[in-house]
Amino acid sequence: MNFKHKYIFLFPGLFVLIGILIFPIIFVVRLSLSGWNSYNGLNFIGLENYIRLFTDDPRFWESFFRLSFLSVTTVVLQYVIGFALAHMVWKEIKFQRFFRVLFLIPMMTTPVIMTVIWRTFFHESLGPVNDILGNFGLSPKWLTDPTLAKFTVIIVEVWQWTPFMFLLLLAGLLSLPKEPFLAAAIDGASPVRKFIYVTFPLMAPISIGAIIIRLIEASKIMDTVYVLTSGGPGTSTETSSFYIFIKGLREFQMGYAASMSFTYLIIMIISLTVIAKVLTKLLLKD
Amino acid sequence: MNLVGENLSYKLTEELQLRKISFNFEKGKLYTILGRTLSGKTTLLKTIAGLLMPDSGTIKFEGKNFLEIPVWERNIAMVYQQFINYPHLNVFENIAFPLKQRGLDPQKINEEVFNSLKLVGLEGYEKRKIQELSGGQQQRVSVARSLVKNAKILLLDEPLVNLDYKLREQLREEFKNIFINGLSEESIVIFSTTDPREAMELNGEVIVLDEGKVLQVGAAKEIFENPKNLKVAAISNDPPMNILKAEIDSNKIKFENIEIDIPDHLSKIKDKNFNFGIRASDVELNDNGFEFEVELAEISGSETLLHLTRGNAKIITSIEEVMDFKIRDKVKINFKSNKAYAFDETGNLASSPFGGSSV
Repeated sequence: MNFKHKYIFLFPGLFVLIGILIFPIIFVVRLSLSGWNSYNGLNFIGLENYIRLFTDDPRFWESFFRLSFLSVTTVVLQYVIGFALAHMVWKEIKFQRFFRVLFLIPMMTTPVIMTVIWRTFFHESLGPVNDILGNFGLSPKWLTDPTLAKFTVIIVEVWQWTPFMFLLLLAGLLSLPKEPFLAAAIDGASPVRKFIYVTFPLMAPISIGAIIIRLIEASKIMDTVYVLTSGGPGTSTETSSFYIFIKGLREFQMGYAASMSFTYLIIMIISLTVIAKVLTKLLLKD
Repeated sequence: MNLVGENLSYKLTEELQLRKISFNFEKGKLYTILGRTLSGKTTLLKTIAGLLMPDSGTIKFEGKNFLEIPVWERNIAMVYQQFINYPHLNVFENIAFPLKQRGLDPQKINEEVFNSLKLVGLEGYEKRKIQELSGGQQQRVSVARSLVKNAKILLLDEPLVNLDYKLREQLREEFKNIFINGLSEESIVIFSTTDPREAMELNGEVIVLDEGKVLQVGAAKEIFENPKNLKVAAISNDPPMNILKAEIDSNKIKFENIEIDIPDHLSKIKDKNFNFGIRASDVELNDNGFEFEVELAEISGSETLLHLTRGNAKIITSIEEVMDFKIRDKVKINFKSNKAYAFDETGNLASSPFGGSSV
């Protein structure tokens, strides 16, 4: 179609897009090539930030691998639990509606506030969890033991975001055609085999979508860590975004934080593309 | 060792229920359940398959209580009127599915699948996706999937109804061959349909079902020749048999100022008032006949169906050629009275040209 004034109509949207997406990305790239901090201007220093990042900052890479571990673990758990719950209320059970709503409640709460509550829960000397465990002579250091703190972050993340997975997967299950299930029972598939050979493969496209969406979200994990442990003890729960936040907004090394952000963005785009491809290959045959 | 059902009842809705159905299906035989929509055909098949649990009654197979065996262990096969296959699998995998569930070795599965592909005429299609096939081919895949199991009970729930005319004729013919050649002596085949012609052509034992009750059981020929009552006569003929309220008076059958000489086989009827039944194909155009008015003329295939009225009498006749009639045209028709049926006032068969009677 050849319409003279099409750009006029495109412009408002394009303007917003440039303003909030394209400009910031370009600016971050420019920023990452400068030593900008609160007292220097936007002075050009070439690739110095990147050289520092790749040769002299193990903390960033540690936080990155920690993030990968946390996001993959939480998403896998969310997927498994979410699928189980969705499968449970998909069937005709008693109080079906009640359970459907119940499982969604964590998603309706404010993550930061819930994390504060979780922190209180897991408080080593004042929290109810250790109060109960104390009866059995246990008092795990939920928030101050380097390994256990990661576990605590995982618990909170899984609790908070499983409902989202549940919702997507339940919608998926409800949209499946009923006929193949009738056929499968007749064809001699027991309920377990029916799940393996029919339900799961039919759910593959939806599963891939849900996992990718959650992976993108989970790799931005910041608020939970910030409130729960502030990256501690030491740096044992520090994730990339939290480290970038510290460098940029606590230490005001804007240029360096920008170079980390940009590197992080590139890695995320590449790895998510690869993950999506791999998942598609694994779960969908054609 | 038969499949025996006793007093099966199941209530789905007020209109759709099974009311104390009993049956005895023998191995190596073909059964046709003939009934209109909502007569309970699918419900009955699903109950046999185990997809529905009857409210009361028993099903026994090979001496075992069938109702206690879960669906997936019943060794049955079912073809539905919708073409049901597994959308995520290709043709080969679809047909192999039931065999895989049994854990057969791949070599054997391969062999069986190709055999059954050959039987339904789909060789060379094994790599295709289900969505790439036409309706008829999809139905062939589900037939192949049901045959490959060599199940002891094969249920076909109106498998031809969603196919176009040509394909239906062709598949029906193939089904007959498959049932004769492709099944072991051990199998029970139950085929449900709304189409009396299909039931006659398959030529098995026919069970006429209506409103969840068995009306008549018998060989296809027997049902056709001696329908037990008015309902069976209506269900087992397409178009339904014409039924006219008539009376017998001095060796004449009389209705709407028409007088027909009473044929021999109807002469023994004692009641004065009865229902005169005649098939559409046994009503012919004849210049010396009785005058009727055309209410509707429909051309179906190579025949013309005429809906005629005369006073309160309404009849349908089928003419074996395409003819053009206008509404309110006058036509003259004659009844082949030697082919006429008589049903008494309660609707039961009183006399048929084939000797059947309940009097």
